Amino acid sequence: MIARSLKWSRHNLFAKPFDVLLSLTVIPGVLWLIWQIAGWALTVAQWDIIPQSLRVLMIGIFPVDQAWRTWVAAMIIAALLGAALGCVFAFRGRHAGGLLLVVAVALVLTGTKGLANILCVAALVALFGLSWALISRVPAARRGLVPASFVGLIAIFAVMAPPGAGLWGGLLLSILLTLVTAVVTLPIGILLAFGRRSRFSSVRWICTAYIEVMRSVPLIMVVYWIWILMPVLTPQLNLADVVRGMIGFTLFYSAYVAEYVRSGLQAVPRGQTEAARSLGMSEFDINRSIVLPQALRVVVPPLVGNVLDIFNTAPLVFIIGLTDFLRAGQMILANPQYGDRTYEVYSFLFLTYFLVGSLITFVARKLEKHLARGSR
Amino acid sequence: MSTIVEMKTLNKFYGSHHVLKNIDLSVARGEVVVVIGASGSGKSTLIRCVNGLEMYQNGSLLVDGYPMPVEEDRLLGGESELAAIRKGVGMVFQQFNLFPHKTVVENITIAPMRVHRKSKAEAEATALRLLDRVGLKAHAHKYPGQLSGGQQQRVAIARSLAMEPHLMLFDEPTSALDPEMIGEVLDVMRELAADGMTMMIVTHEMGFAREVADRIVYIDQGAILEIGKPDAFFDNPQNERARAFLARVLKH
Repeated sequence: MIARSLKWSRHNLFAKPFDVLLSLTVIPGVLWLIWQIAGWALTVAQWDIIPQSLRVLMIGIFPVDQAWRTWVAAMIIAALLGAALGCVFAFRGRHAGGLLLVVAVALVLTGTKGLANILCVAALVALFGLSWALISRVPAARRGLVPASFVGLIAIFAVMAPPGAGLWGGLLLSILLTLVTAVVTLPIGILLAFGRRSRFSSVRWICTAYIEVMRSVPLIMVVYWIWILMPVLTPQLNLADVVRGMIGFTLFYSAYVAEYVRSGLQAVPRGQTEAARSLGMSEFDINRSIVLPQALRVVVPPLVGNVLDIFNTAPLVFIIGLTDFLRAGQMILANPQYGDRTYEVYSFLFLTYFLVGSLITFVARKLEKHLARGSR
Repeated sequence: MSTIVEMKTLNKFYGSHHVLKNIDLSVARGEVVVVIGASGSGKSTLIRCVNGLEMYQNGSLLVDGYPMPVEEDRLLGGESELAAIRKGVGMVFQQFNLFPHKTVVENITIAPMRVHRKSKAEAEATALRLLDRVGLKAHAHKYPGQLSGGQQQRVAIARSLAMEPHLMLFDEPTSALDPEMIGEVLDVMRELAADGMTMMIVTHEMGFAREVADRIVYIDQGAILEIGKPDAFFDNPQNERARAFLARVLKH
């Protein structure tokens, strides 16, 4: 063991004079940094602010007596994410163990917050695991996934709407915004991608113009414009800020999804279309059953990367007055009583963003491997 | 015997490049016509016109009783005959072009189910019968990527046959195959010919051409220079360029 780690460090850290120099400066530096951070985190930092303001961070200013609605929404999201995961990873016994561990950690962290919360967290994890297991064990259930995700999103809106969409906030808002944008941009992006290849030049021109315009302006500007324009264009609708924000995000990211899908469409060899045509299949059937599945297989990894982009740009909705996760953290700090907890709150925000983001990249990498195996 | 394909002074251009020049050719039902010629002579383009994968600019083309619209009409939306023609004409490609995301049996059943609205059970029964015929029943549930080139091409033939075509087009079906796999594909094609299938074949396999063809069509630089019975054509070609071509390809 010792001999092996000695050999490893000789090869990787002290192979050449320059390596030695680098290792001798970088390693102590990193250790010092970790020491400082750990020292602050374990002795100086007053973490009690996090559990105290956890509700605001998670759901913003959503009324406390209506909090059950956010739990329902979170459970629907958990079920949808579990189902999506089940398409790629087979559910195994050891995964169930991992999920139990998550519940246990949650128990420790929220132990002081009452039985109801603990039960809710357990239910969340259970739903996630169940739909994961169901989808990976019963392949036939996958067919219902796309309609189910649309129904799920509508259900979330239905259950969350009554207290007023203006009250949505916190991490839940960030995740909802990401989810809605990711799900709705996919069909729109696919249609735009096909439109850009249409044989009718009017369709081709409109789709190309849309994609190019959206790709050459900043996201904030699109979101802001939609926020200003919607009430002017549809005064009778009186759409909430949240919905207008989602529309802005969807319009913007549809163009990016369209470009990813188009690159996938171009990767499908011409011979595929020709073979399907020679069999007498209609253009619609050819695109739906032959071209699109092969194209999507190629672009799933960049599309998952796009979801990460959406999640990481979600804080920009503060510009139209929404309280997303990052903004919720700033709101807490605006309270003079908590003025000296800046580092604690931002560390928590950083860690949470990092966890969610690295989870998405992890899934993307696994997905890439999974698809590479399938195409052989 | 009635004719199934009738080309009259058919012309095709790529821009200003004249690819097919005044083609006159008719194929009778049950006949096997083999098209030969040098690379780039237009022989693939010729048979790709028959099911409309290539458009032609003027002349006339009658396939299976339907007039194939010229390019101008197709661009203006006159494609109703095209669908009818393609239902009755099968095609096998040099690169097989199987659908890689579908199993062998799904490759064969998708068109009958979508185009002829056959039930899944019925389409699968037909598929398995055809796979048996090309000797690949054991591979029904594999993906194309798991098969050899020769096996893939036999699946491609079965896929076309599942649509019960009146005419089969073969576009260099053995050109992408390793030498040891050519035989198994040619065997399937021989059986098809023996069963009376109407076939138009583009190939470089001269021995096979001579054996199965009812007529040989020699094409060079986009024009048909000679049409004849195989024995007469191979033993005593009339056209000078055909003679030179045969001397080149039969030398080895």
